[in-house]
Amino acid sequence: MTENVAILGVGMTKIEGSKTDQKLDDMIFEATSRALQDASVTRDDIDSVVISACDELDGRCISSMVLATPAGSYLKDEIKVTDDGSYGVILGAMRILSGLFDLSLVVSWCKTSEAPVAEVMNVRWDPFYHRGFGLNHITSDALMAGAYLNKYKISEEIPAKVVVKNRKNGTKNKNAHLQEPVTLDEVKSSPVISLPIRELEYAPESDGACALVLASPRKVKDLNRNPVWLRGFGWAIDSYYLGERDLADSNSLRIAAKKAYEMAGISNPMEEIDVAEISDFSAYHELVAYEGLGLCDRGKAADMVEKGFTEITGKLPVNPSGGLLSSNPFTAAGLFRVCEAYLQVAGRANDHQVPAVEKALAHGSTGFCAQGNSVFILGK
Amino acid sequence: MAKDNKGMTLKGGWNVEYNYAVGKPGAKFLNSLKNDKKIIAPKCPKCGLVMLPPRAFCERCFVPAEEWVEVGNEGTIQAFTIVPVKFVDHPEPPYAIAYVMLDGANTAMVNLVKNMDLSDLGKAAEKLAIGNRVKVVFEKKREGSVNDFHYELM
Amino acid sequence: MKERAAIIGVGQTPYKSHHDYTIPELSQQAAMEALDMAGMSMDDIEAVVYSMAPSEFLGVNEPDKWCVDAVGGRNKPFMRIHTGGATGGSAAQAGFFHVASGLFESVLVVGADKVRECTDSQQVLNTIWDPVYERQFGLDTIAMAAFQAVRRMYKYGTTEEQMARVAVRLLQNGLNNPKAHLKGKITIDDVMNSGYYEWPIKKFDTCPSSAGGAAVVIVSEEKAKKLCNRPAWINGCSEIANTVFMGDQMGGAAEMDYADWDELAIAAKEAYGQAGITNPKKEIQVADVYAPFTVTDLAICEALGFCDKGESEKLNEEGFFDMDGEIPISPSGGSLCTNAIAVTALARVCDAALQVLGKAPGKMQVKNVSNAVATGIGGSFQFHTIMVLGSDYN
Repeated sequence: MTENVAILGVGMTKIEGSKTDQKLDDMIFEATSRALQDASVTRDDIDSVVISACDELDGRCISSMVLATPAGSYLKDEIKVTDDGSYGVILGAMRILSGLFDLSLVVSWCKTSEAPVAEVMNVRWDPFYHRGFGLNHITSDALMAGAYLNKYKISEEIPAKVVVKNRKNGTKNKNAHLQEPVTLDEVKSSPVISLPIRELEYAPESDGACALVLASPRKVKDLNRNPVWLRGFGWAIDSYYLGERDLADSNSLRIAAKKAYEMAGISNPMEEIDVAEISDFSAYHELVAYEGLGLCDRGKAADMVEKGFTEITGKLPVNPSGGLLSSNPFTAAGLFRVCEAYLQVAGRANDHQVPAVEKALAHGSTGFCAQGNSVFILGK
Repeated sequence: MAKDNKGMTLKGGWNVEYNYAVGKPGAKFLNSLKNDKKIIAPKCPKCGLVMLPPRAFCERCFVPAEEWVEVGNEGTIQAFTIVPVKFVDHPEPPYAIAYVMLDGANTAMVNLVKNMDLSDLGKAAEKLAIGNRVKVVFEKKREGSVNDFHYELM
Repeated sequence: MKERAAIIGVGQTPYKSHHDYTIPELSQQAAMEALDMAGMSMDDIEAVVYSMAPSEFLGVNEPDKWCVDAVGGRNKPFMRIHTGGATGGSAAQAGFFHVASGLFESVLVVGADKVRECTDSQQVLNTIWDPVYERQFGLDTIAMAAFQAVRRMYKYGTTEEQMARVAVRLLQNGLNNPKAHLKGKITIDDVMNSGYYEWPIKKFDTCPSSAGGAAVVIVSEEKAKKLCNRPAWINGCSEIANTVFMGDQMGGAAEMDYADWDELAIAAKEAYGQAGITNPKKEIQVADVYAPFTVTDLAICEALGFCDKGESEKLNEEGFFDMDGEIPISPSGGSLCTNAIAVTALARVCDAALQVLGKAPGKMQVKNVSNAVATGIGGSFQFHTIMVLGSDYN
């Protein structure tokens, strides 16, 4: 990569359990307007819009028909990805790197309060060999959690500690859905929703939208800005068939991270990265991600937790925003991670700011048991 | 033409229901239909576009549209079609759909044109020709939806 | 600046109403054919873009995930693109950007659809409209075409016979395309007597519901020169979005009329500019366009700059766009012969690429093609894609 891509600003709605006072269109307009304002550009200046959304969760087949213009696309070059909000950043960045675009909006959203999430997720399984077994996102992810537990025989305290950490962080994030802390006992005694995952160990269902503005280096120069740069990114996907994967180890995350680190010139992530926003759909996702991101060796995620390395005061704070365990607008989850990572580098994360951040990592994932993963390195 | 294969198939389907929030502008518009039998529309503060169906913002100027105006109960047909065949989850045929620019609005809004003879498609098409006038007729029982009114030829 | 990119392999399964193969299988078949033509193996591909539009037709959500293994996507960067009917065009563009960004040297763009796997595609297509304001009135894609047709009748005096003449050309062209779903020699009378779906749109004015897969292999300049002696260079690409509200494009305050595809004209201007094309009428020898209804074909020819507004009806009648005319439009039979929605716009890219590659079968091949255009359409005729392919780069 010979040129970098800059992030000029972000816009996020508050993430809430149920935003019934807003039509989905209006929630998207809010996030997009905020991003434009934050980046100090107008819609006229924009030459590209990349949106990321899921029809089935939006309840509108081809949801971009109704929702492209709230995301600023009227008579603009617009394209849509569906995997996860963060994939919008990937495609947006490639469009800018091609030299054909200079200023791109990236927008993502999800209003889970409107959709029967579990039913939608069940239909993501093929009808021949998987769908009939009550497999939805939670029960599928439980297979991953079980595989990890079985392989490394960790105590149930470990995932519970991850939850306590993230929920505590969430109390400092004005935008978060869940802003109350939980205790270790509360997590350990919360009902099992799909063995071994307990209710408090799985992310909630939330409504929210976010957007950011990407710019080419020549645009940054034109506008005379001092932005946050996207220093590296990578993405990869695993097999659809869970039985063909080692669910305790995220192969695709390793590949994605390797690419992102290469691009960003990072050889020792634990030392060189100052903060990380990881897609913790469950506490177990976060444990698997520590290893997949190369923050520790295989099977050593529990050590990281025991030693408090990823606490807000630790060596490498993970999810200072409270993560998905505090706020989970599904499809938009990964883009919120990028927005939060941006705020950390820009020094604008207010009450949940980690001190002295030079480089931040953001992580998005898509598909059952994090079948696909994306990794981003942001820096000044 | 290639012959279709006839292999093993599995029947399936799903019924997924959603709860769409209509938003504040939506609620204002729908309540006005239900309670006041009035069609109101938001207006863009920048370009002055009076928009139906209502929306919270102008897509072109990308600013919130918070001023509302009442539009007339008559309008001009901008496009139409007549449907003689049955599609699943569509109204019972024959039915006529029209986009109408109500007096005072700057965009056309869709609804069914009822109480007209649709037995001869060609003749019906002439009656629905672009430029012809229709009026808004409110239903006796209204529930706060776009089904609370329909169009009729004048 | 940007890196050059070219298409060196395309693949399509034959299109039918029903395929016994599953989506992963159809995707794989198309991918293998494209890789074969490119002289590459799955292992040579560095990244995959999956083309999938509404998955409600085939009844599996996020079916791109299901297809990962079948298309050699495991362990690779993989993403799915979805812009309604325009998906295939957008997916091809996303593939182009993978290479043009300088990050990849080879990308596979692939997808498949089985539109008839559901009972009634228009049932699904009714749910694309706003649930609060428009879905209640039986709107679907045929209605969209009806609205465009009545506005063209109003604006240009278009007749039903003039629309029918488009079907005569396209179905005839389908006879030269072994992959096409529908094909045959029909007359204007056949179309006029085929029965109304939604006035004035009749059965033969309407695309079929097809099943099948399509794929293209896009590579960097270095790989293209090494592997192919006549690559199809991607010289221009652009896409554009408009509002879902068709009523905004009718009457006084409309910035463009629903009778026309001015949005496509805007995107075409951008793509032509990138490709260095200043006189499309003279410089483009063939276009394979996404016209799912006869009336849309008329709007497209004008938007692409092949004639002025309101002129395409007459030119079409005179055979200007026939295979032996001045500018053949859709030698493949286009979308009136085949519409496997998730990949239809990708199929247009395949068919336009075949023209430039010189690999279109028999009578489907237009002679001496230097530049070809492929278009895609999605949503309420609101999403338009255009790709300009050339035998040389500028």
